[in-house]
Amino acid sequence: MSKRSRRAEMQAARRARARADRERRRDPARALVSAMMLFYFSAFLLIALQGEIQWQGFALAAAVPMMIYIATLWLPRFFPADKLLLAIANFLCALGVLVLYSTDRGAGTSRGMQQAMYYGIGIIAMLVCIMIVRYIRRWKFLMKVVMMGAAALMVLPLAIGTEQNGATNWIVIGGTSLQPSEVVKIALLLILGWYMSRHQFWPWFLFAGFSLLVLMLQKDLGTALIYYITTLLLFYASTGNLPLTGLGVIGGCGAAVVGYKMFAHVKKRVAIWRNPWIYYETSGYQIAQTLMAIASGGLFGVGLGLGAPRVIPVYFTDCIFAVICEQFGVIFGILVLAMYVILILRGTFIAQSSRHSFHAIMAMGATVMLGVQTFIIIGGVLKMIPLTGVTMPFVSYGGTSLVSCMGLIGLIQGVASVNQDDLTYDYEISRSLQEEMLLPEADR
Amino acid sequence: MKQLKLRFRVLTLLVIGLLFVAGAYGVYSVSAYGNRWVSSTRNTRYRSAKRSVSPGDIIDRNGVTVATTDENGQRVYQSNILSRSSLVHLLGDDEGNIANGVESFQANYLLGFETSLTERVNAFLKGETRKGDSIAITADSKLHTEIVQIFRNTSNTKGKCGAVAVMNYKTGEVLALVSLPVYDPQNITATIKNSTQHPFWNRAVQSTLPPGSTFKIITAVAMLENMADAQTHVFNCTGATQVMDQVITDYGNDQHGEITLEKAFRLSCNNCFAQAALLMGDSALRKTAENFGFNDNFLFRDLVVENSSYPTKDRNNFEIAWSGAGQSKVAATPLHLCMISAAIANDGVMMEPRLLSRVQSPAGVVRLRYSQKAYRTACSPETAKIIDGYMKTVVKSGTGTRAKVDGLTIAGKTGSAEGSANGLDVTHAWFTGYIDDDRYPYAVSVLVEAGGTGGSVAAPVAQKIFEYLRDNAAVY
Repeated sequence: MSKRSRRAEMQAARRARARADRERRRDPARALVSAMMLFYFSAFLLIALQGEIQWQGFALAAAVPMMIYIATLWLPRFFPADKLLLAIANFLCALGVLVLYSTDRGAGTSRGMQQAMYYGIGIIAMLVCIMIVRYIRRWKFLMKVVMMGAAALMVLPLAIGTEQNGATNWIVIGGTSLQPSEVVKIALLLILGWYMSRHQFWPWFLFAGFSLLVLMLQKDLGTALIYYITTLLLFYASTGNLPLTGLGVIGGCGAAVVGYKMFAHVKKRVAIWRNPWIYYETSGYQIAQTLMAIASGGLFGVGLGLGAPRVIPVYFTDCIFAVICEQFGVIFGILVLAMYVILILRGTFIAQSSRHSFHAIMAMGATVMLGVQTFIIIGGVLKMIPLTGVTMPFVSYGGTSLVSCMGLIGLIQGVASVNQDDLTYDYEISRSLQEEMLLPEADR
Repeated sequence: MKQLKLRFRVLTLLVIGLLFVAGAYGVYSVSAYGNRWVSSTRNTRYRSAKRSVSPGDIIDRNGVTVATTDENGQRVYQSNILSRSSLVHLLGDDEGNIANGVESFQANYLLGFETSLTERVNAFLKGETRKGDSIAITADSKLHTEIVQIFRNTSNTKGKCGAVAVMNYKTGEVLALVSLPVYDPQNITATIKNSTQHPFWNRAVQSTLPPGSTFKIITAVAMLENMADAQTHVFNCTGATQVMDQVITDYGNDQHGEITLEKAFRLSCNNCFAQAALLMGDSALRKTAENFGFNDNFLFRDLVVENSSYPTKDRNNFEIAWSGAGQSKVAATPLHLCMISAAIANDGVMMEPRLLSRVQSPAGVVRLRYSQKAYRTACSPETAKIIDGYMKTVVKSGTGTRAKVDGLTIAGKTGSAEGSANGLDVTHAWFTGYIDDDRYPYAVSVLVEAGGTGGSVAAPVAQKIFEYLRDNAAVY
């Protein structure tokens, strides 16, 4: 072989590699993730260099884009995944870390670092959920175990729980506090999906009713609302029984009215919602501060790390949306809302493409749950509905909440990967049939 | 399975719809109320912003600088104590004691929040402290001083609480918005802070009181709109109209006998208007009041004004009858009463009150210029013409003769409203009126809290203001 032909061969190989490279770069998900990584890298760097230089900022500037890369581009090499859904969930998680880290400056807290750790755990939780959906096939007995376990977990706070902000929904195990109702969300969706797809009414009904009762006893009304709406909507989707669904809506409204009449703190919440300014000195303080923060940001915000976010009570969980609006502006806030909308659209698409009704209902449930929770907290922060203490999915500070939200994404991704496997399987069958000349060749 | 997926779509639409509504609500409430939230006395953010930005100047309509920042970053007002005190409620003070004064309500301009990025970078590169935009307002500093002096030098009003609003009824420009007592913004003592007269309260836009007989302007409009024979209908004033088991009386227990609307308006006869209110019914009167802005959520661009109210609940006849005379839970602010006369003067069109005439950046770029806008059409030009005639007779030969000014045609209406202060029954003195002259298109309203009758206490104050406008309005 002559030197020239070898050179030509090498050039051809190089060209082929370059073409493959270009193609990979042209992958829209790649461009999106690169933009996200650049955004977070520079954002963390900016805060790290603000005033006194902090090593945590540099660590996060490296770690957060790294985690985004791993979760959205590297992991999907091992199983088919919906990259857009992954990218949005990761963007929101990283946004939480960023905002928390920026509010840490000068406050002596280290929520940003902690949240970054939870984010890592969240990615693992997502993987676990993907595995569960992909590889566990024999649910019949397992589902009963899940149900028992979840019920037991649910009751735990009543026995050994600690009270926080008026609700007894926390347990402390070995120094780390945990909110069982968040973890049980995943179990609830598995249970609802399994039994609803099998048209077995009582098992899921009893479990959902039991969970609701326990949540009421714990006075965790926000979470109870999420459980109730998700269950009701899934019931409607799986049966199409409008009269009973209507009854459920009426029942829910009735319960709300009874709750309003019976509990003084519910009445107070509603009164604050109607006019927070007259209760400014006491209970209206939080929502009034939230509104002032949102308005102070204006359209484009006061800037990352600026403003006075810490005057808002619980700025790191319930009211984190107000902090985002103050620093990045109302337009960014609306865009964040739009991201949740895209997330819901992707979730619905995945649920609709599923071939197994168990998977379909479960994925839809996870989507609806995330959507409803987003509405409850953002509506509350904007004073559209009374503020109830639930977290903003992916963004709010808190390990259990973040982990459970990523778990929900894991469920949806699991279903997406099964869908993709099904498609590949179809394709392979049709190709093998084609090879055996049993099917005509598809038109190109 | 297909059904299931169709229903999924319903769920998605529902949830996305909810999020969409939340977003739309957020955008709406921030654009409608955002400025009010930000300028709340409770917002600490602007106080911290003042440390890094040097707030811009405020200039009145004659070019007098009424607020500026000195080289030490200290906010200073006019050097004359009386001058700066008389503007304190309109501008607000450095401590933020006044709700929604220009200093806080326009803080996004004064503190340079509207400054573009290139301007900020430029200032940074030059090493300058950032400077906010300067604002020109439509108010007249000298007129404010004059009004405070009138209040102080008249024996009937000396030491009393009250408010005055002066505006141009053709354009909506606010010339004066005074609340008494005033205080010195550069020397806020403990006496002022603990005063039982609440000097921090901006009465011209914040206190809603029963308008009393000044509300008869609206009752008369309602009569003209709803009763075909309004101008000829003969009412019988016995001095005590029996409604249910109570009676409607007139001030000083006067008896007017058989009278028509014109005379009743001139003499401010409660019995006639009470009977008219019962004849028309609550909803007809309420509708006219709402045309004049009652029960509306005032969202003016430059001013935060407390909403005026006309009761919406079912009420008994006695209460309805008294509403015809501006009592019984009808309430309005002095500025709103000024706007009501202004609407009559302006052929039934109520202009939006405006305070900002120009916003200018430190480099001289004009960011915003005054633009006038009609707030609403209160009544037809024909109705306004008739009421205009009635209001002129009030000043010519009725209850408001003490507002008469040589060489000008004044129209007005007095009011003596029954209210309570510190648990005691008091009479608030009101006057609202305007100059019918194209050279001086000004409407004025005067409130003297617990002052006595409108004709003897409020009308003379208005008269002096009209005289001042006659002698000095050439400046404008």
